[in-house]
Amino acid sequence: MRVLLYSIQSALKNIWAEKWINLLTTLSVGIGLLILSAFITVSLNMDSVLKKWSRSFGIVVYLDDQISAEATGTVRDLFKQDADIMEVNYISEDEALSELRDILGADASILDDLEQNPLPSSFELKLKSSLLEPVFVKKKAETIVKMPGVADVQYGEKWLASLNTVSRIMKASTIFLGGAIFIAIIFITYNTIKIFFYRRKEEIETLKLLGATKSFIRLPFLLEGLVLGVIGGIIGSLTLYGIHSLIVAKSIDFMPSVRAIIISIPDEIFLSVPFVGAFMSFIGSFIAVGKIRY
Amino acid sequence: MIEFSDVSKIYDNDIVLKDISFTINKGDLAFVTGPSGVGKTTLLKLIYAGAIPDEGNITVAGWEIRKLQQRTIPYLRRHVGVVFQDFRLLNNKNVFDNVALALRIHNMHPKEIRDDVNAVLKDVKLQHKSHSFPDHLSGGEQQRVVIARAMVSKPTVLLADEPTGNLDSANSKIIMDLFKEINARGTTVLIATHNESLFQQSGRRVIYLKDSSIEMEISK
Repeated sequence: MRVLLYSIQSALKNIWAEKWINLLTTLSVGIGLLILSAFITVSLNMDSVLKKWSRSFGIVVYLDDQISAEATGTVRDLFKQDADIMEVNYISEDEALSELRDILGADASILDDLEQNPLPSSFELKLKSSLLEPVFVKKKAETIVKMPGVADVQYGEKWLASLNTVSRIMKASTIFLGGAIFIAIIFITYNTIKIFFYRRKEEIETLKLLGATKSFIRLPFLLEGLVLGVIGGIIGSLTLYGIHSLIVAKSIDFMPSVRAIIISIPDEIFLSVPFVGAFMSFIGSFIAVGKIRY
Repeated sequence: MIEFSDVSKIYDNDIVLKDISFTINKGDLAFVTGPSGVGKTTLLKLIYAGAIPDEGNITVAGWEIRKLQQRTIPYLRRHVGVVFQDFRLLNNKNVFDNVALALRIHNMHPKEIRDDVNAVLKDVKLQHKSHSFPDHLSGGEQQRVVIARAMVSKPTVLLADEPTGNLDSANSKIIMDLFKEINARGTTVLIATHNESLFQQSGRRVIYLKDSSIEMEISK
């Protein structure tokens, strides 16, 4: 415990003694974490928009013209028993025509000349959002179309594929950027700690000759890396908060529509950034001290 | 306390020490001397495991140097105080903290550290300089700080490498008196020096090194 206290004191003194290089390190770590957390925030916003869109996605199952009420009931039961389907809505021929009238509005009079309703009855199915994969939905549609009483199945194939591609790109970019920043922060801390180590080489030699153990020598360096990561994380977190607040405040005046898609950043992000910084920097300093020859 | 048996040390195909054998008993004060480059510093290094012998065995306060593992070396060094010619004081720490460092490594309580450091600074007559930084001290004062640092953890063996190399005769005498006082308290002291005036007429044991070997030994 006393060694830990001494190491903490020693680390803080050393951080202050090398304040300029530490300032650069914490700013670099802070900027890295800011970029990462900002990207995660944008991803969360995008994800929220995509989820909203996906909620409106449905498969329309057109039934045969001559289908009996009993057969329609059987098809409905089959859909309701299907665990992949979240919601089943039946739209009768009359309801379909009524909807078409609503859509056509003033031009609805063109429908008055029809001798009989040409629209088929249908089911609108909503799949579970986790299942909205183009391949899965295609397979599902192929299965449904083979069911007795089903005439055709339609869904926004291209729209779903685009949505899926955007979502994949966002996820891949987040992982790639996260990985790149993770490595960058580790590298920055690694280099800083290594520089400190070379600057204090004589001190380390003296400590060794006095009987200091490896952990006694290494602990202050590890703590320095940890503190730099925490400070960098706090800088990143506060900057993200500032930028987000500014965007929210300004968007009310200039672009009110943007506000609709800006979500509030979860507190977890603000709180976790310093911990993430500490973790990354700790790894960097851990690798640096690991390479120290004793 | 210190036992060398047929010890040899080779650096880059250059034989620095060859077949060195001697024993220094507990409570002795002895000198190692010889011309520059004869291996005096290497001999001391072998004692505190700053170097490992290529041949032969060394035992220091019960520790067999060749059998030591890297992780156990620090614990040997806590029994061996070393006074360096180039002082090796930390310029960013004051006198008190330089001396206290040896005890902080031992994980001692801050109050004990304060008491022990003040006592040892009193012994070397530097208590009034405890807040001074090394670069504000004279060479003699710096050497006394180094001795205080080596002594504060009460080692069983004290090694000194050319302890008066940078000092005038008055300061050399002060330093030698300190070593005698430390020895009188029971610590085994081994001093490497080429300054013959330190051991002439001292009545102490002297080991002469020449051409990497012991040329002769004068016992007290």
